[in-house]
Amino acid sequence: MIPRLWRWLHTVWTGLAYVVVLAPIIVLILASFDDSNFFRFPPQRLSFRWFEAAAISREYQSALGISSLVALLSAAIAVVTGSLAAYVLVRHRPRGARIIEAILLAPLVLPLIVWAIALMQIYSALSLSGTLTGLVLAHTVITLPYAVRIMHATFERIDPQLEAAAVSLGARPFDVARRVVIPLALPGLLTSAAFSLLVSFNDVIVSALIAGGRWMTFPVRLYSQLRGQGVDPTTLAIGAGIIAIILLAAVVGELTMKWSRQV
Amino acid sequence: MPMPPSILLLLPALALSAVVFLAPFLWLASTSFRTQAEGSLLLADGFSIHNYARLLADPFFLEVLLRTLAYSIVTTAISLVVALPVARFIVTRAGRLKGILLALMLVPLVSGALLPSLGMLHLMGPLGVVNGAARLLGLPTVKLLGTPAGILIGLVQSFLPLMVLPLVNTLARLPGDLEQAAASLGASAAATWRRVILPLATPGIVAGSVLVFCATFTSFVTPQVLGQGHIATFGTVAYQQAGQVLDWPFASALAMVALAMIGLLQAAIVIGSRLSRRQEARQ
Repeated sequence: MIPRLWRWLHTVWTGLAYVVVLAPIIVLILASFDDSNFFRFPPQRLSFRWFEAAAISREYQSALGISSLVALLSAAIAVVTGSLAAYVLVRHRPRGARIIEAILLAPLVLPLIVWAIALMQIYSALSLSGTLTGLVLAHTVITLPYAVRIMHATFERIDPQLEAAAVSLGARPFDVARRVVIPLALPGLLTSAAFSLLVSFNDVIVSALIAGGRWMTFPVRLYSQLRGQGVDPTTLAIGAGIIAIILLAAVVGELTMKWSRQV
Repeated sequence: MPMPPSILLLLPALALSAVVFLAPFLWLASTSFRTQAEGSLLLADGFSIHNYARLLADPFFLEVLLRTLAYSIVTTAISLVVALPVARFIVTRAGRLKGILLALMLVPLVSGALLPSLGMLHLMGPLGVVNGAARLLGLPTVKLLGTPAGILIGLVQSFLPLMVLPLVNTLARLPGDLEQAAASLGASAAATWRRVILPLATPGIVAGSVLVFCATFTSFVTPQVLGQGHIATFGTVAYQQAGQVLDWPFASALAMVALAMIGLLQAAIVIGSRLSRRQEARQ
């Protein structure tokens, strides 16, 4: 009797934890379909009007465009440089590998807000603040650890003999990379690209301190709007769309590429 | 001797991290000892401990740091208590649902801080889900927005996955028949947890605690949005000083003190776990 009660409590506890974790995300999606200006529970009337408003909002379109551009550029740099570094760390085990890894993973354990305060000052001294270059560099650095970690795990699972075999058959290093390593590492490359994109796309604090007016990303615009005028149903619709994409990405990523084990 | 090409492949990532990420911390340390000329953003000549003295003399900033420390410790503790059974469930009982449960745990981690906070506004607001449901049931309404309870709920929601995922990784490596083995030796369920599972889960507990602690201490969106600007924490005040007041030397000093507090607490978590393990081994 007692073990069964224990099991039941364990299930309920886990269920409640998931309710806490997912509630705001589900509510955000539900609220975006409500007709009123401010979400009330129970919802009043279903409507797509905020999605329509979002679709024609110039301001949000430009912010989303900037966020996407910055995310794509920084993810591309992070995945390329991170993969090269992870490859060397796994295959060549250079001296000081542990220190190098610690440096590459530092943004995961050091507080980003502290770093952003410093970066803002340096950018200002170098006239990089409010530029696309400055923003992309900053985002590359915060996404790099994800790329390094995921590619590290990926290369560890690829048998080095396959590369040795290709070399013994006369393949040049470039061909080994293109025909052997990259195809085998593709799932890891996609995973690290996805994580880099998500991390960059969602960043508020770093962008808020260094983006400036010209390159204001979507989260920064949303944040300043939230502070100034409160919840705007149009942002709600865009936010719900973004969350839906993230939810889908997480489920697909976990089921196909085992994301949770790599990050 | 020419440098082997493999080392060259390391350089781009290493240079990015070292120059763009690590070097600014040195800059921060040096600016924290500078001052600005009156009414100007330019740094005055010379170094002084002026900013640190001002920080330590000002009860507002001390209170902010202590409050943030309290939030971080409470959030870490709640996350640990909530996450242990959840991680154990995912590892031992989820079966085919394991993939989905792990995927759902990843969602808050990859959805940033802002969008879930926006959802929390709709949950906790005067017209939100919690109070709407309370009204329907004839219960009194609760004020969550602008209160410490509201902020803590938001922090646990955001950072619980940082505790669950390392725990899942650690617990998954334990042998599956551990509980039966302990039970067959006469241990109760509670004793099994205390004497067997918890000690073996220590690496995951330490990793998760360090991550949750650092994330909470430096979080900025959640306390700002859910505190409705009424409750100052390190993140909100640091943003204000650096981004709005533009007192960069003072913001730097504030950041340095926070960095020291985070470092000390993280070291305490690691050392504490080692000591308790040693004690466990002696028994």
